[in-house]
Order: sequence, then structure tokens, then C-alpha cells
Amino acid sequence: MSVRALWIISHAKGENVSIRFSRRFAAVEHRAKCLAGPSYVAVPEDNTVLQLLLTELGLSDSDKPYVAVRDDCYNRQRSPALELRMDSPEKGILWPVLAISQGPLILACLSLVDAPPEPRPPLSSLLSVSQGLTLLAGLQTFLLSAGVKTDNEGLASRLAMLPSVLLQICPLGTPLDVPLLGAPATPAALAPAGNQKQPAWKMGLHRGRAVVNVALVETVRSMQYGNRSRQDLWDVFGTVTCKCEVEGVLPNVTVTLTLPPNGSPLQDILVHPCVTSLDSSILTSCSVDNYDGSAFSGPYKFPFSPPLEPFRLCSYTSQVPVPPILGLYQLKEEENHLRVSVTLKLHESVKNSFDYCEAHLPFFNRDQMGLVDMKVSSGQLDVSKEKNLLVWGLGQKFPKSREVTMEGKITFSGPTPGPTDPLCIGLTAYVKLYFKVPDMTLSGCCVDQHSVQVYSSAKPRITTSRELVSKEYFLWNSTGTAPVSSGQMML
Amino acid sequence: MAVNWAERVSVFSSSPSRVLSGTTAEALLAELLRELRDDRASYSVKVLLLSPICEYPTLLCPSESAGEETALELMSVFTQCPPKHVQFRCHLLLALTSVLVCTSCVSNQSRASQDYLDLLLQVAQDTSDLQGDCALRLLRATACDCLRELEACSPGLLSQHLELLAGLRLREGSRLHQAYAGLHTLVLRNAVYQLTQEAGAGAEHLKALLGGNTTVAWEAGQNSGLIKNKDSMHLSSLILGPMHTTPTLQTGPDCKELRSVLSSLLEESYLLTPLCQASLLYRLTEVVAMVPGVPPSVFRAQLLRLLGTSEVSLLHATLLMKCAFTDSLFSAEDEAFILKRLVVLSQHPLLITSEKLFYMDCILHFPENRPISCSDGDESLPVLLTPRLASALLPTVFNDSATMLARLNLLSLVYLEEGEEGEGEESGGLAYLYEHLNSLLNIVEHGASREINVTFFRAAFLFLFYFNHVEHYANNLIEKLCKLYLRHTHLAPQLINLADQTQDKLPESSWAVGLLKALLQAITETSLTQLNLQDLSQHLKMLARMAEEGEIPQHSTLRFLSSVITQSSASLCMNGNWRLGNSLLGICRRLLNHPNLDSLLIPLADILQHLACNYGDTDIQDHARLYYTLLTTLSREKLVSVLAQGLREGGRQVKKRTLSSIMAESEGLTSTLTIHRMDKAVFRLVEAQSELNTETHATKDTDQNETVDGPDAALTAYRAQFEDPCFASDITLNYQLTHLTTSDSRFDQLFSIRLHITLTDDHYEELSDISVPCLFRERPTPKVRLRLKPRRPYPTVLQASAIFTSQDGLSWLTVLPDIHVSFQQVFKPPPVPSTWGRSDKLSLFEGLWDEVNSQTGEKDLVDCATSLFCCQLKEDALAALVEKHFLPFLLSDPADKEEFKVLFFLPPHSHVLLKIKSEEDAVHFNITTDSWQLLPHISSYLLTITTSQDVQE
Repeated sequence: MSVRALWIISHAKGENVSIRFSRRFAAVEHRAKCLAGPSYVAVPEDNTVLQLLLTELGLSDSDKPYVAVRDDCYNRQRSPALELRMDSPEKGILWPVLAISQGPLILACLSLVDAPPEPRPPLSSLLSVSQGLTLLAGLQTFLLSAGVKTDNEGLASRLAMLPSVLLQICPLGTPLDVPLLGAPATPAALAPAGNQKQPAWKMGLHRGRAVVNVALVETVRSMQYGNRSRQDLWDVFGTVTCKCEVEGVLPNVTVTLTLPPNGSPLQDILVHPCVTSLDSSILTSCSVDNYDGSAFSGPYKFPFSPPLEPFRLCSYTSQVPVPPILGLYQLKEEENHLRVSVTLKLHESVKNSFDYCEAHLPFFNRDQMGLVDMKVSSGQLDVSKEKNLLVWGLGQKFPKSREVTMEGKITFSGPTPGPTDPLCIGLTAYVKLYFKVPDMTLSGCCVDQHSVQVYSSAKPRITTSRELVSKEYFLWNSTGTAPVSSGQMML
Repeated sequence: MAVNWAERVSVFSSSPSRVLSGTTAEALLAELLRELRDDRASYSVKVLLLSPICEYPTLLCPSESAGEETALELMSVFTQCPPKHVQFRCHLLLALTSVLVCTSCVSNQSRASQDYLDLLLQVAQDTSDLQGDCALRLLRATACDCLRELEACSPGLLSQHLELLAGLRLREGSRLHQAYAGLHTLVLRNAVYQLTQEAGAGAEHLKALLGGNTTVAWEAGQNSGLIKNKDSMHLSSLILGPMHTTPTLQTGPDCKELRSVLSSLLEESYLLTPLCQASLLYRLTEVVAMVPGVPPSVFRAQLLRLLGTSEVSLLHATLLMKCAFTDSLFSAEDEAFILKRLVVLSQHPLLITSEKLFYMDCILHFPENRPISCSDGDESLPVLLTPRLASALLPTVFNDSATMLARLNLLSLVYLEEGEEGEGEESGGLAYLYEHLNSLLNIVEHGASREINVTFFRAAFLFLFYFNHVEHYANNLIEKLCKLYLRHTHLAPQLINLADQTQDKLPESSWAVGLLKALLQAITETSLTQLNLQDLSQHLKMLARMAEEGEIPQHSTLRFLSSVITQSSASLCMNGNWRLGNSLLGICRRLLNHPNLDSLLIPLADILQHLACNYGDTDIQDHARLYYTLLTTLSREKLVSVLAQGLREGGRQVKKRTLSSIMAESEGLTSTLTIHRMDKAVFRLVEAQSELNTETHATKDTDQNETVDGPDAALTAYRAQFEDPCFASDITLNYQLTHLTTSDSRFDQLFSIRLHITLTDDHYEELSDISVPCLFRERPTPKVRLRLKPRRPYPTVLQASAIFTSQDGLSWLTVLPDIHVSFQQVFKPPPVPSTWGRSDKLSLFEGLWDEVNSQTGEKDLVDCATSLFCCQLKEDALAALVEKHFLPFLLSDPADKEEFKVLFFLPPHSHVLLKIKSEEDAVHFNITTDSWQLLPHISSYLLTITTSQDVQE
């Protein structure tokens, strides 16, 4: 349940790699030595670890097309845990090394194997693995929360805080918590002399007016092919984020999610650990299961005791009958230009009031755009500076007909080649939609302001909100071959 | 002197060996400790100083005694540090824990570790911070974590304090209860484990243990609870799946006390952070698994909360609980629910990739209530995972490569079972997977990035690994790969790798040969006119690999080669590109070894002859001629045996190897010409007995002569010798070259050993290489003399490597264990003229002594220093010490026990003079030296020899 060592590495696309922080936990290492006996492999010095790690992640020697140790097809690069194979003189394999990377950072740790080393135990039998992953993810969020990812100063200042952060969350190699985001809240008043113990995840106590804010965000993803042989796909997942400022050591708050009549049940519900109890019926509905008409469809009650900071109370997925925007994208190769036609239809159930709505038409593996001769029935069309992307801004509203079209032709006669993409070859192309609709959800799920119950003496101020945003919302060219995005639909 | 500690510490952390090559661990530790005691240093710097001790305690404190001393030092720093420096004090506790655990002080229950334990318990109980600053509480939390780590490293250490810890946990209202809870559960778990190891332990013992009545809990004779197991089982997890049995404690059904402790811990588990909650649940799972008297249903109240959690560690702890209790806690519906949950989580849009991969791993090692197979560790599918359920995890081209490969692996297992159940090979799932592989191939075909190429080949290997028996897919894949290769010949190494790995991992399958055959056909059918040099060299690489397959007929290869060298372009031959020629020859050489050589004879001979006559590079011509001669003159059997000699690992005689190496152009020759790197050391240098002792005894006879008058004259005469810069400027260290005990019979007889010594600092001049003719395991070990020429006579570490030839004629490079040159190895007796007797030497001693001690000397005396070292030694112990360590350097009469005068000469021109006298309270070592930089080394040397003397007594 402990980690032997921890490394934080920064790099820019495999270049300028350096270890920015490392920590070895000697006492855990001592245990590792006792546990592994003769098969013990010591952790080498940082530079060696770095080299091995980069090889395993496929980031070393980026100028060479093939390196046997890096590119062997037998390498099991599908596990969350890496093996670092050491060369002479200390032959041996360091395992399990967990690594997560995002942006310029790679975070890695070596978990303790508290089981007989031979035969190698499955990862899932080592609690240290999930704990290590949680620690790494927590550290990553902490380090990257400093602001823009490329902001080196922000990162450096966060790195400088790590020793004192680790003293609190992982002093001796056994992770106790993840770092708090933002500046540590001023340690508020101490625990009162009551019987109630203060939760370890609550830094202090709130004093003052009670405020509860519940925000429900639904995200819709879609793959539309405009093709009878292939079924269009869309899915919806929602998250409920709360910020609760309520007095008391362990105040009780209940948030209730409700669905409209005939709403399809919320599935795959995951809850924050501060939720005190759950009704078993809430958990039963599951997206990978056969749909059961008799499934529980709310209301979904989540009693919890909030931490001080904002947190994700719960998340769910939902199967909605229609996508919010149905689109058709047609691209035809004609002589020396492409004929483009896009139609977008806003479903009648969706509120026609957007924060923003944009359609992006990128073009890959071609020269830059030359002549763009396009007509749109609504909104405004822009060509990106790099001349490889059309941006169709639809503004805040669709026209009354709820349908917009774009029609025209493009020649690719620019002087330099545009960007490349391994998927979008020939007529394989897509339109990507970006939109946000305030005050609505596709599933119909909502948090009623009056259904939020706060058990406290003062009357709290409660605000709730909901919105729908798109993510990975693709319309594939119906005249080209489009990649399969879900095997389930194909079978 | 301002030292930039931040930088030094960070250099040390990233590469301790680099720092320690310039100084000793001892010196560095001393420096750190001194700085820690220094009142002027700021506390933020002091926190930094602790990090080397925290991270590398065993490097800085190599022995238990060193650990013990360091710990005592640190503890005194702790007691003297004002309480307001909380961070520093916390880090001090961490450093103490690391040092005491890693130097085995804790497991051996040393004095310092006992004191430290008391200190920690005292800090952990000290609730005076309640009124004070919140930050102070951090110290208490850290103390708890240190206690927890001590208990984790030495299970049972705190079992006597179980009741105390339970009380502390119950009373604590602040966030700190978490630290107590973690500590309490671990101690409880270890204590129960301990009881399971005791014959006859039962309910009363458990009750007594929980009540703090340790005298009853532990049988007489076992006054401390520390588990003394030598093996590591006691540190290991107890929940290891169906193949392992958990030790149990028979208590009968009535375990009221334990139950109440468990339910109180579980009730409050909600108040802990998810990570601590997971650990707590895990430890309690172990406890309940060990005590059958407590039903697993104690966990039931927590289950729903845990099953709905978004936290990976909490769900993981629940899975481990399921592994431990199976159907005594989890119903069949629960099991189905958990599995569906895992499938959902494996593809959940809100989770990070590593978590999803982890959940997929959990599916492949799902703790089933009633497992069918007992495969331990292997990936296998849970029975409940239907193809329908698993279809949510079908791979797509939108997945990142790790996810895609993990999904492909999982789904392959699913469809493998499905296929075997008789639904036929045409199942839609398998078709989908193959279609998916094709999509990847299409991407690669359109020129993808390196990462995608690698991913595709990994996916192809996985697919073949499971479905190589499904012929039409396997064949179709071969076809597609051929097309791919012709478009992207730079993928040759990947294709060869794929062929190698499928051949290696799937010995029954002939897929690899099929692929190579098809590629051969594809290559040999290409039109030569369109062939560029790059493609050609890739083709030749492929052909060489194919030529190794006896099953593949090679006529087309020869036709291809022949047209390459004759038709394609005469320029190619004329150019005389050595690499290209060598690739051509590589194929020919393999063909010489081909089982169907008879049918290849004529075309092969033609090619070789053509190369020998027309190729534009002499070396290639020569080799071609040699091959031609061999081919045309040797009988088949001889040819095979000659070539086989070259291929076989380690021929019997060295000569054969060299001969055949010439034949075996690419492998044999390269392997003889290459120096192979050795994974581990085969031999090492062991310090041989010094010859100094005998030398001094020999000079004893001339004691009576006196050749110089008085100290000044002696000094002048002595100094005069040094006008020659080479005079006495080196030391000779004697070593023996011996085999290490590990026996690899290949290396029993070694020849032409060339030792190369590398310095790790600049205190010495570079050394030249040393040759040793041979080293046989059964013969006496050869002597090796190292002549070191010091610039500064400090201790050092030498790195040694050696190149040698093994019996089979291969050359090897090996790294020897480092050679540590200690300070005392640099000592020499003063290089006085051979005619001098004892009194002359004494005069010299006095001369040197007076010069340093009188401040009026004309010489520049800035480097001179005097010092005093005291220690407690009995008179005979002192005499023994002098006899043992100083005899070669002793100038006064050994019979004179009043005062010993010792003179060390340290090349090139340093001296250390000792006057050793027993005073009433202690033995005084008066030290005088003309090089003050030596003082720390001297005192650490004296400390070592005098304390080891103590130990002897």
C-alpha cells in the first residue's frame, strides 16, 4: 500500500527531458528488500530511471525509426504498470512502475509489491497500485492547476511546494491524501468541543452565511455518418458539481435529481466519497446492461456531508432518444475542387438558445485552401489563418426553421501543404460541432432548487444551474469511408 | 564559508554516486550533521539537509552502529529545536525513521530505536497543541505516521500499545483521528497475525490483547511482541487469491471485543480520506479473514457506499474484500453488478486512461465467488463476462494505443472462448477485431507516425497470438502485410521483428514462415528498374532473414540477387558500396548453410564469382572469393560443419572459432570482432597482505647506526631527497585477481586480461592499463600491483573494467566491483635514506614536529595544523593497537610504552605525526601535520581503529 519512489518529469514532446522532482522512500524500500528477498531489484539513480522510462513510453531516441528495445511488438504496453528492464550490471526488472502523463509532465511512481514476488502477482491484487494511481493523478491535478500548461513559472512554484505538500499527504511513502487545490484554506476554527469528529477530508469549518451551489453539466458526444449502413451514435453523461458553505462539523445536505415522466433512467451513477448512503436502486441501472423497462427512474437522492472545496457529487450517463443536432456532411471531389454541403438540424426538444454554436470543418492531408466559394443560410463563415479550417459561427440561435445549410466549393491551391492526419485521408473528413446550451439537459435531469435540503439552523441560499455542452461531436462525410467509433454498434 | 546546500543536496539526490566519488559518505554525513547543529543555518536549509538522510540512509550510514549514532545525533537536534519549527521537526522525525529502519536498528531493537519509539509515543500523546496553532498538529500526525511505518517494517513492534492507541483514536476529535485510526488498524492486524502464529492461541488471548493485557496475550518467554520471522511472510499481504491460505485464529463465535473495535473503526471510516479509507478497509479485511469467529457481514453496512464510489482505491479495496470473502459477503447479484461496474468504468469518459487500464486488468483477474480454474496470476475471463457485455470494450481507432491494445487483448480472449464453444470461426466479434486491425493497417499504409506503426505491429502480434489458427484471417493478414511492405519498405525491421516474435512465442504456428515466403515472393517480383538504393537495402535485410528458413526455397532469392548485381545497374556493383556488398554476402553466407544448398549450387556460385570479379570493393571481392572457394571445393558435410562451427555458441578450440569466423561473415566475425558486454562481474581485485610489515622488520637491524646530527640536519637531508620530483611520489597497492564465486564454466579460463582503472576524482594521476596473461579458476591467483600517484593523498574509489578473451575466443568487457582505497592504504613509512637508523628517524620526527609547532619556521606554514584526539583505552589495549596498526610507522622504541611516536608519510609530500601518550583520563593522540586538509580523514581513521579496538575488548 506504499510507493517506493516518485518521479516528476517534464518534457516538450520528448525533447528537453529532465527530472524535476524525485523522492525515494527509504523505509518502504527497506520493506521491498525484505519482501522480495533474492529477487529484489534496487531502484537505480534518477538518470537511469529516466532513460528506461522514456524507452518504455516510446519517447526515447525519437530520431530513430526503429529501436528494438523500444519498439518490439511483444512489449506489453497495454497495462497501466510498466516494466523497467535494467541492463547490466544490475540486471533485473523494476515493476510495477505507474506512469501518467499530460501535457509537459510525466508522473511516475514505483509501487511496493507486498506479496510473494514469484510468480508475479496480478496488479489487481496490489492495493498499492490503485493508491499510487490516485496519488499520481492528485499530484498531476495539483501541478497543472497552476494555470496555463506551458506556464513554466507556475509549474516551478508548484514543484517548489511539493516537499511540504508531501509531508502532509505522503510523508513516508504511504499515500494518505491527495493535495488540496489552490492555496490551503486558512485553517479555520478548530474542532468544537462536541462529540462529532471532524472528517479528515475537511480542512476547517465554515463560518457565516450558508450557501449551496449545485451545477449540473451534461455533455453530449456524437458520431454521425449520414449513411444508412451505419448507425449514428451519441451518448450523454452528466456531472453534478457542488460548492457548499454550510456551518457545522458534519452538516447534512441532500441533493435530489429528478427526471421528467418517461425520462430514461440515469445509468452508471458514480458518487463522491462524501455521500453518506445510497439506495441500492440508484445503482442498478447500467449502460452495458440490457435495458430494463422497470428500472428505477428517480428521484435520485444523494445525502452527503460536504467538504469545504467544490467537488463532483456524482456523475451519470443517460441514453437519450435523439441527438440535439442532426447533421449531414457531404464532400465530393470535382475536377480541381471539393464540393461541400453541410446541413444541420436542431431537434425540436432542444432550446433554441445557445451560449455559442460553431461548426469546424478541418481539411487534412491537402494543400492550403485557395479559393473558398461558400454560401451559408445562416451565421457567419471564417477561414482560419492557417487556411486549413473553415469555422462556421452560428451565433446564439438557429433560424425559425431550425435548419441551416452550407453549400459551396473549395480549391486547395495554397502554396504550402496543410496539416496531416492519419485518419482523414481522401474523402474521410468530418465536421466538428462545438456548442453550449444553458439551462437545459438532454436527459431532462434537473436539480430543483427546493429539493436541496440543508439541515442547518440558518436558512441557506441555494442556487442551481444546468447546461448542455458538446464534446467530440462529429459529423462524418457521408460520401467517404468513416472510421468505426464503437464496435458495439457494428455487431 | 557559504556552501550552496540547495544545489549540493539536489545533485546528491539525483546521483549520490557522483557526490560520493568526491568525498566519503562519512564526511558528508558529518558535514550534514554539523550544519544541522549550527544555530546560524536557517531552518528551511536544515529541512533540505535532511533529505539525503531521509532518502539514502543506508548510503550515509552503512552500518547499524553508524545508524545508531546518527539517530542519537538527530534526536538531540530534535530536543534542542524550538517547538515552533514544526516543518523541520517533522522532517527530523522522517529522517530518524528512515535511518533507524534501514540500518536495522528497529528490527534489532537497539537503544536509540527504543528511545526514538518512546519519543514518538510521547509526541503522539501530547495533545497540548489543542489550544495552540493548528500547524503544530502536523507534528503529532507525522509522529503517528512514523509509528505506523515502524510497525509496518517491524510488525508487532507496537502490539503492547494496542489499548493506548485505541484510546487515542477514540478521544481525538480533530482531523488527526485519521492518523490514529491508520496506526491502530495496522497494529491490530499485526497483533492478530502474531496470535495466529502461536500455537494454542485463542479467544482469551485475543481478548487480553485488545484489553492491553499483554502479559496474558503473549506466552511466557516472549516478552516483546516483535515478530521474529526471518522470512518476509509477515510483511506480505494476506489476501492473495484462492490459491493461498490465510492463517487463522480459532476463537469460537464470541469475539465481542474484536467486533466492537471493528464496528467502531468501520463506523468512522467515512470520516477518512479515500486513500486512508481504502487502507483501513484492507487491513480490516485481513483481520476478519484471519478470525473466522467474526463474520464478514460486519462490512455489509459499508458496501453500497463503496460500490457506488468514483474513487479507484475504494472500489479496489472492495474488490480485494470480495477476493477474501467471496460468497460469504457477496451474493451472485453483487458479483454480476460489480463486473458490469468494472466494464462501465473501463470505458468511462470521466476517468483517466491509467484508471481505465487498471479496471480492465481487474476484469482479467476478477475475484470470482466460485472460480473454475485456479490459474494464479494468469489472465482469464470471468464466467459472467459475456460477449455482449464485453462488446462495450471493443477497440476502435479512436483509442489511445495502450487502451486499444488492452481492449484488443481482452476481446480476443472473449472471442477465443466464443470460437472454441463451437459458434464457428466466423463469429461477428472476431470479424470485427480483424476489421479493426485492417483499419489500423490502412492508417499505417497512409504513412502514419512512428507511434501508430508500433501500435499496429503490437496489435497484429496480439491478434496472431490468439487467432493464428484461423487460417483465412492469418493468410489475409500476410497478403496485406506484403502490400504494406512494398509501399513502405522502411517497415522491414518491424516485419522481421513480427516474424521473429511469432515464431518464438508460437512455435507450433507456421505463420511466420508463411509471411516470409509471401514477402520473398513479393520482393523478388518487384521490378528492378524502380528500385532505389534504400528499398534495395531493406529488401536485402528481409532476404537475409528469409534465407535462415530451411523451409523456404531460395531460387527466387538467387534470381533476384543475380539480377540485382548483373542487370539492375552495373553502377551498383561498380560503386562498391561496402554496406550493400556486405548485405549481399550476408545472404550468400546464410544460403551456404541452407539445407537445399545442392539445388542452389550453380546460381549461388555464379553470384559469388560475379561479386569476386566485379564488385567495386576489395574486401567484398575477397570475401566473395573465399565463399566461392568454400562452396566449390568443400564437400557438403565439411561446409556444413565449418559453418556450423561459426554459428554454434563457443566452439571447443579457439583456433576453430577464428577460422570459422572468417566464414561466418555477419554473425561469427562480428561476434569475434565485437567486444561483448558482460552482465555481471566475473572476477574482482582483492586486497593482498601488505608487504610493509616485513620491510620494517628488515630495517630493524640497522637501528644502532647514527648518521646525521640532530633534528635540523636530519630534516635538511631528508628534504634534499625531494628535489627529485619523482622521489617517493607513489604508493603501491597489492591486489589479487580472483574469480567471483558465481560459477559460469564458460569463464573458468580467461586469457589476455587487460585491466583499465578509472579515477572517480582528481586526487590521483591517471593510471595506465595493466595486463594479466591469464586467470584460471583452479590455479593460484595472479598478483596485480596498482601504482597510485597521489596529487592529494585522500581516500578514493577506483572503477575498474577489464577486457579479456574467454576460452571460446570471444572478447568480453566486464566491470569489476569498485576498488575502495582507504586512507590508511596511502600511508608509507618516511622515505629516509636506507642507511638511517632509528635515532636518525627520531631526529627527523623531532625536526618535523618542531617545525610545525614553532611558528617561526621559515617555510610557509599555512598548511600546517595540530590537533588532539582523545579516547579511552587501557594500557595494554593501546599497545595492542599500536602493534596492530602503527608498527610499520613507529619511530620510537616499541618497548617504550610511555610515548609512541608515529610518522606517516603520505606521497607526494605530506606527513602526519602522532605522539601517543596515556594521560590519567584518556589516551591522547597529539597530531601534527603539514597538510591540514588531512585532519578529517585522520580523525575518522583514528575513530575507526580505536572504536574497533573497543569492540574487541
